[in-house]
Amino acid sequence: MEEKKTKAKKKPSKKSEFELCKVCRFHHDQGPRHKYFPRHKELLSAFLNRFRSKIADVRFFLKNPSFLRPQEESQNRVWCVFCDEDIVELGSSFACSKAINHFASSEHHKNVKQFLWKHGPSMDCADDFKISDADVAKWVRKCTALGNKDASSCRGQLSSDIHNNKLEFERTEKVQTHYINPNDLNDVKPLLYNTNEYQISHSGVTHYGSHLNVDASHLPPGVIGMTSNSSSLYGDSTGNVHTGAPPPWLNPNGGNIYNQSDITKVQEKLPAKTTSKLNPHRVGAAWAERRKIEMEMEKRGLAVNINTDADWLPNFGRVWQSGTRKDSRKEFEKEKRKLVVTAESISMESEERKLVKTESISVESEEPVQIQPYVSKRARAMKSGE
Amino acid sequence: MESVLLPTLTKKEEIDRIINNTIDKVLVLRFGRTSDENCLLLDDILEKSARDVSKFATVALVDVDSDQVQVYVNYFDITLFPSTVFFFNAHHMKLDSGTADHTKWVGKFHEKQDFIDVVEVIFRGAMKGKMIVHCPLPPERIPKFQLLYKDV
Repeated sequence: MEEKKTKAKKKPSKKSEFELCKVCRFHHDQGPRHKYFPRHKELLSAFLNRFRSKIADVRFFLKNPSFLRPQEESQNRVWCVFCDEDIVELGSSFACSKAINHFASSEHHKNVKQFLWKHGPSMDCADDFKISDADVAKWVRKCTALGNKDASSCRGQLSSDIHNNKLEFERTEKVQTHYINPNDLNDVKPLLYNTNEYQISHSGVTHYGSHLNVDASHLPPGVIGMTSNSSSLYGDSTGNVHTGAPPPWLNPNGGNIYNQSDITKVQEKLPAKTTSKLNPHRVGAAWAERRKIEMEMEKRGLAVNINTDADWLPNFGRVWQSGTRKDSRKEFEKEKRKLVVTAESISMESEERKLVKTESISVESEEPVQIQPYVSKRARAMKSGE
Repeated sequence: MESVLLPTLTKKEEIDRIINNTIDKVLVLRFGRTSDENCLLLDDILEKSARDVSKFATVALVDVDSDQVQVYVNYFDITLFPSTVFFFNAHHMKLDSGTADHTKWVGKFHEKQDFIDVVEVIFRGAMKGKMIVHCPLPPERIPKFQLLYKDV
């Protein structure tokens, strides 16, 4: 009986094939047990939270639909982690329209369920990653209402050209997208839509406005954006590419970004920049920086370097000195003073000897170093004991 | 016989100047006499390798027979000639070559490459903030000598 129990306890753990966990981003052979491991649960909660925030952004546009400008199409993209699909809003009129349709689709719902079954311990949060059909219907109604509003405002101005025989709200949306933000002038943006007659006619609206029978003068500046391109954006009357004016950076008067004083400041800073490549913790770094500045000033003739102190000694660790290098220097200076004193005393004595011949003066000399053999404590104790 | 490439220093001011003007480079100061055979052999190696190490080292010769240089001969505890002392940014660099004196290199180098290796190790150590470095040469190429403390 006991043997059976031990055998039952000692069941070898079956190792399944290696598979990739999308959440933990590694391969494991733990099989379905893997989703219950605490590390996986932590990573899963972080993973789902990140996607929840993305869906929250989409839900915002679900409640507040707005038009999508072509220059913002590339930014308005979502990666669906459940379907492994990148949802790009190419050609869509409203923000996140494709994303909303995708999250409402049955295929996405199926993928969500599958993901949570495979990776997540519970299926409770499945509704957080779906959009219901009712919400989508409400959104569509809002969009049409929004489109009708804009269409009605510029219906009278649009002609019956072939290009205009489309849904009116789409038309106005395309017209509106031609508005250029002055802040984006310096950004290089990719070509968002194919160049065709329609585009050319809009770009040259101030000059070729008659092509579409659109009189630019009727439109107030800023509305729709057709007439706000040329003058209002640039502000100055210095001209532009179309008028053939030179670019601002070639303008000798106002084109220079840097003034002469700024250039000199930069040039002054140049020596400091070159030293930044060297390790700041190298030996004598602080001294080197100070010395470079001193040399620069000497070159310019600003300051005279009075570094010719006769008693100056470099940083040196002597052979027979222990302690810091400063101690070595102090020790050396002490020895130097002693030598000077003894030299003076010797010279004085020699003078006295000349004056008094009879007296004999012995020259003081250092006691010779007495070398004694080492005697251990025990030996000393034994000697003293004897 | 003065070297064509290497400056020979005979005054304390000259030594001070070269120490103060050598920035972010190893300064190699050879203390010796031109009449000494070992000094001449060492000078030959220094002259030949000066150009190779010019990007990270400056080499100069100091004549120990000059009176004004005696202060440095005493300060650096130079008793045997030739002796080579290394500096980096006015800080003395020590070299542990297994001998009794880590503050200088005593004697000559076996070949040009040995000198270049030593200077390179010193430069690398100095750039990392080390003030003492281990000598990369094998013991058989390191000159042996005995230090005497007050002639004992």
